[in-house]
Amino acid sequence: MTTILNLLAVGRDIQWQVFGLVLGIFLALALIFTVFILIITKVCHIQEDEKAVKILNLLGGSNCGGCGQSGCAAFAKKLAEGKGDPTACHSCPAENRAEIAKILGKQIEDEGPTVAVVHCAGGDKAANKFEYNGYADCTSRSGLLGGQKLCPSGCLGGGTCEAHCPSFAIHTKNGVSSVDRDLCTSCGVCMNKCPKHLIGRIPRSAKVYVACSNNCRGKEAKDLCEVSCIGCGLCAKNCPEGAITMVNNLPVIDYKKCVGCKVCVQKCPRHSIKEIED
Amino acid sequence: MEIFTLFILAVFVNNFVVVQFLGICPFLGVSKDTSSAFGMGVAVTVVMVLATLVTYPLYTFVMVPLGFEFMEIIFFIFVIAALVQMLEQILKKFIPALYNSLGIYLPLITTNCAVLGVAELVIGDVSALGIASMNLGYALLYALFSGIGFLIAILLMSGLREKVDRYADMPKALKGFPISMVIASFMAMAFYVFTLI
Repeated sequence: MTTILNLLAVGRDIQWQVFGLVLGIFLALALIFTVFILIITKVCHIQEDEKAVKILNLLGGSNCGGCGQSGCAAFAKKLAEGKGDPTACHSCPAENRAEIAKILGKQIEDEGPTVAVVHCAGGDKAANKFEYNGYADCTSRSGLLGGQKLCPSGCLGGGTCEAHCPSFAIHTKNGVSSVDRDLCTSCGVCMNKCPKHLIGRIPRSAKVYVACSNNCRGKEAKDLCEVSCIGCGLCAKNCPEGAITMVNNLPVIDYKKCVGCKVCVQKCPRHSIKEIED
Repeated sequence: MEIFTLFILAVFVNNFVVVQFLGICPFLGVSKDTSSAFGMGVAVTVVMVLATLVTYPLYTFVMVPLGFEFMEIIFFIFVIAALVQMLEQILKKFIPALYNSLGIYLPLITTNCAVLGVAELVIGDVSALGIASMNLGYALLYALFSGIGFLIAILLMSGLREKVDRYADMPKALKGFPISMVIASFMAMAFYVFTLI
């Protein structure tokens, strides 16, 4: 122990007198400022909207911006004015949302805990339109002819979602982003930031998800990417619960009906429906 | 005459934003429209003067005689943070419109390096400021002039940005933030002329 302290030069030569003096003056200063702030708060007290304050205390509080507002306070104010939907906040527990709805006198349908998922598995497997040499950000990439990928709705791999995720839950590897389910709070920041709108929310209990977003069919889709959905509809035909419908050549899973049998995963010839490993 | 030199030096030659590159965060963040840019400039100026009013005597009459000048940054940041807290409350009460338009950038004045920069510069080497010796009056004037320099820079920036964002036809890749950076760099180049005075 002593050797470590000696190595770090900690515990030697501390001038305790100076230390105490500085601490004392700092505390005295803190006390003076506290008194001033208290006085000013008292003098400048304004009647705040009680409803907004109550709602603010129930919201996530991380100012993630997933609801589209600049922070929790702005969102609370909007809610208190009767605009907006409390379900837009996914960072707070479901009970809090129910509580907010009660304060607002609204009925909300809460689908339970959700998690973000990237509806693309392309990355290096997707064909390139051109070689992109420039600022790596996805917004810049998509500003140039819609990005370097041939697929109009393919992940550009620039890591914009990764950079903006407040809980470090997204990782961009091999040209495509993926979500770490353990860290994701489903706040929705990535959904707003992705220029291709590839990130969506699914219930946490979901067993499968669609890992493609392109609306092309057949050969056209095959040329774009090795793992593209070709819109064949095998998943919809084979789903025993009838939970899958084809919309714009893409399967849409109704998670209320899905029982997690994973028949669709086995039937998909392109491996565009992926199972979630727990 | 000394005051005039101080004014020219603080506002143009050593302009905080475009020459010394301090306080860039509100400079780019709140310069979207002129009215809130003006509010931000005034708020920063007020905080600068108030902060200097507290930090300069604190440094000269308490910290130097007692010999703990090395704690200056912690003490200064602390003072600035407390002042911004007070300013926030006052603005909320009396000018709620400005309070709303400044939004998150108001608490960020706390860590605005331009404010800390003034507090540090007035206790440092005074030869760069064009005066013989520093005292509280000069320190306050320097803070005020620096604030005016910041105000002028952010107003120019917001005026240019308003025009460019609304009327200029430009490629998608440059729209919004990138063109603002380009504008800022051109402004910095233009202000560089003043350093030749």
